[in-house]
Amino acid sequence: MAALLDQAFKGGLGVFWSAATSTEAIDALKLTVVCSLFAALFNAVAGTATAYVLVRDHFPGKGILNTIIDLPFALPTVVAGVTFYTLYGPHSPFHVNITGTWVGITVAIMFVTLPFSVRAVQPVLETLTIDAEDAAATLGASPLHVFRTVTLPALLPSLLTGTGLAFARALGEYGSVVFISNNLPYHSQVSSSYIYSLVSSGQNASASAVAIVLLVLALAVLIASNVMARQLAARRG
Amino acid sequence: MRRPSLVLRALVILYVGALLALPLGFVFQQALSKGWGQFWSALRDPAMDQAIWLTTKVLVLAVPLNVLFGVGVSLWIVRHPSKLSRALDVVIDVPLALSPIIVGLMLELAYAQTGWFGSSFAYLGLKIMFTYWAIVLASIFVSLPLVSRQVIPLLREVGEHQEQTAATLGAKPGRIFFTITLRSIMWATAYGVTLTLARVIGEYGAVLIVSGNIALLTQTLTLNIGANFESFNSYQGFVGSLLLGVISVLVLGVIGIARHRLERKRHDSFV
Amino acid sequence: MTVSYSGVTKSYRGRLVLDDISDVVNEGELTALLGPSGSGKSTLLKIIAGLTPLDSGRVSLAGKDVTNEPARNRHIGFCFQDYAPFRHLSLRENVAYGLKVQHVPRAKRREQVDELLHLVRLEEYADQYPHQLSGGQRQRMALARALAIKPDVLLLDEPFAALDAQVRSELRTWIRSLQKELGITTILVTHDQAEAMEISDRIVILNQGRIEQAGRPSFVYDHPATEFVASFLGPITTLAGISYRPHELELVPATDADSYEVREVVRLGFEVRVVLVDGDAATWVQLTHDQAKQLNPRAGQRFGVHVREKNATAKSAAAADQDAVK
Repeated sequence: MAALLDQAFKGGLGVFWSAATSTEAIDALKLTVVCSLFAALFNAVAGTATAYVLVRDHFPGKGILNTIIDLPFALPTVVAGVTFYTLYGPHSPFHVNITGTWVGITVAIMFVTLPFSVRAVQPVLETLTIDAEDAAATLGASPLHVFRTVTLPALLPSLLTGTGLAFARALGEYGSVVFISNNLPYHSQVSSSYIYSLVSSGQNASASAVAIVLLVLALAVLIASNVMARQLAARRG
Repeated sequence: MRRPSLVLRALVILYVGALLALPLGFVFQQALSKGWGQFWSALRDPAMDQAIWLTTKVLVLAVPLNVLFGVGVSLWIVRHPSKLSRALDVVIDVPLALSPIIVGLMLELAYAQTGWFGSSFAYLGLKIMFTYWAIVLASIFVSLPLVSRQVIPLLREVGEHQEQTAATLGAKPGRIFFTITLRSIMWATAYGVTLTLARVIGEYGAVLIVSGNIALLTQTLTLNIGANFESFNSYQGFVGSLLLGVISVLVLGVIGIARHRLERKRHDSFV
Repeated sequence: MTVSYSGVTKSYRGRLVLDDISDVVNEGELTALLGPSGSGKSTLLKIIAGLTPLDSGRVSLAGKDVTNEPARNRHIGFCFQDYAPFRHLSLRENVAYGLKVQHVPRAKRREQVDELLHLVRLEEYADQYPHQLSGGQRQRMALARALAIKPDVLLLDEPFAALDAQVRSELRTWIRSLQKELGITTILVTHDQAEAMEISDRIVILNQGRIEQAGRPSFVYDHPATEFVASFLGPITTLAGISYRPHELELVPATDADSYEVREVVRLGFEVRVVLVDGDAATWVQLTHDQAKQLNPRAGQRFGVHVREKNATAKSAAAADQDAVK
């Protein structure tokens, strides 16, 4: 089915190139990549911290926290999108307005990608016994040092794949981002909404061109993160 | 150090709360801000009514089809490995990372009157794009891997010995399937079904393209909400959001239970 | 029912797992398929059961050719090494499964299941689930389940491998007496030669897909046909290039012509092993507790080593092998 995409942009390689490299497309791509990257990386850290708390810590209501993590999976993206717009937009009760800013877009993406990192790291943390960490502690290592040298290397492969997946997903995110992004071409338009605008104005060939670029990028990231993760895991034995 | 510090715990809770819980709470607040009466009449708005009905119709077809496909494919990949099934194993995860807009575009190109598949359908006098069927197609596509991703690892873990034993006890393949195989993948399938449900209800980007977003005709609930906001009909939009939000929370609850059962089951069998 | 298979050949992923295997198992006997890992014994068992297809050959049960019959038509009972309990069913339901398939009416079914549970002594666990039972209990459940359909042949795939030593030996003896009592033809796969020797009427020794030897355990032990069989079935020691069973050698006072120095004395509970060297040659002799007490060997002492019994068998096997090599 995906092969169909190729057919559409075969309407001239020249068209493809101009469409893909049009300033609009490039601006959108830059914005998308930057926000997605930031969000994915931030959530890699936040997600690990969250997973750590979820696995190692015990307090009442932890179960609720655990379940809430899945909210972005269960909640329709558009609901999240409109809510963000209302919460942090022109009519915001907090009197902030981050529509049309990369901050707004990044926040929306963070919402969507948090579960990816948490759920990627969680099972690894659970099987990782506390013994290794304790052993390091008895050898005089401070808690932070223990984390850096013992826990983190074990988590890295899964974290890498999880973040890679999150990033790839973020690249294509639409529903939650489109409202807060304001959609101003050249300024605050995400690649996915650019593609949509092309489609709705019937420019299928151009849309396909930009889409392919996005796809290739996402695929590259996925493959790269998987390969890196596998190499890391192999090295640890 | 064994337990994370209180500071870390507080930070995490704050982050998750602000990022995830706050928006949800806000939806509740907004939708109910004009009181119950308004809320109920808003729910009965003809466009919303239609949207609810359409979404339900899509669910009724898309979810069972997906389950059948998911379970079937999983069984095939695990129990009858071949070059083809291995290829399928890799390909099947693709929809998960794909941008919904791109999915919509692909489907539109393929099934429009002039598309690769669409032209065959057009020949038969059938129109796919911008109809209910397109929405069903898009929904199935985006949720394709959700069931098999849960079932495949479980099938691998459980192994074939139970089924082979049942065979030696005289059971025919059909009986083995229903009494042994299905039971062993039950919770994984349930989990996958719940995820599928959530995904189909919540799909926006792909459906936006393939449905044409015609209010009262081909507008799912998510599209309805989006349209409302774009026309500054935010209250209406929030009402719809609340509806979906409540459903999401319920789904979350079921997901939580299914996941819990699944893990406990896995733990038991290792004893 | 007699079980016979002939010309059974099976390859898997380019590797020859079974090479033209033939044998007959007599009615009422317990035959052990013995061999190291990779010898093909589990594969052979599954072929007899109909769970794995063979490349060529035939399998017959009670004279009837069942080569093309699926497992469910062969009327056999099979126990996997991991017992393969139906995890979602209770103990009782597990055992009843085969009866349900045969559409045995509920009352009769319950009666038969109760009987079986009593036989394997698991009545009080009837309503528990497999994950609540111990390994030994699951093993007995698997047995009861297989026996429920009153099979003609019982096939056991390394049934005791996953149990700890104590449970293993108890269960072993118990299954043997049960088998004798029921008179059911049984084939048991194992890699444990002590187990095979202890409970089987007949041993079939497999190595790399071929039958090295088959016969009564005591016979095969005393008259091994090949070096492999000799070393697999029990410890052997060598003297002047010829292999012997350790109890066939004895220590005697050293003479000029016949003198070995004790290198090490290992005490293994009721038996004592004395390791001796003479220049390049090394050997070891097994003494009983009492013999060791009498002789009191210590490192550095010198002894002569003689062949105790004029037992030609071990000698001839090794000699035959050596002749073949030459």
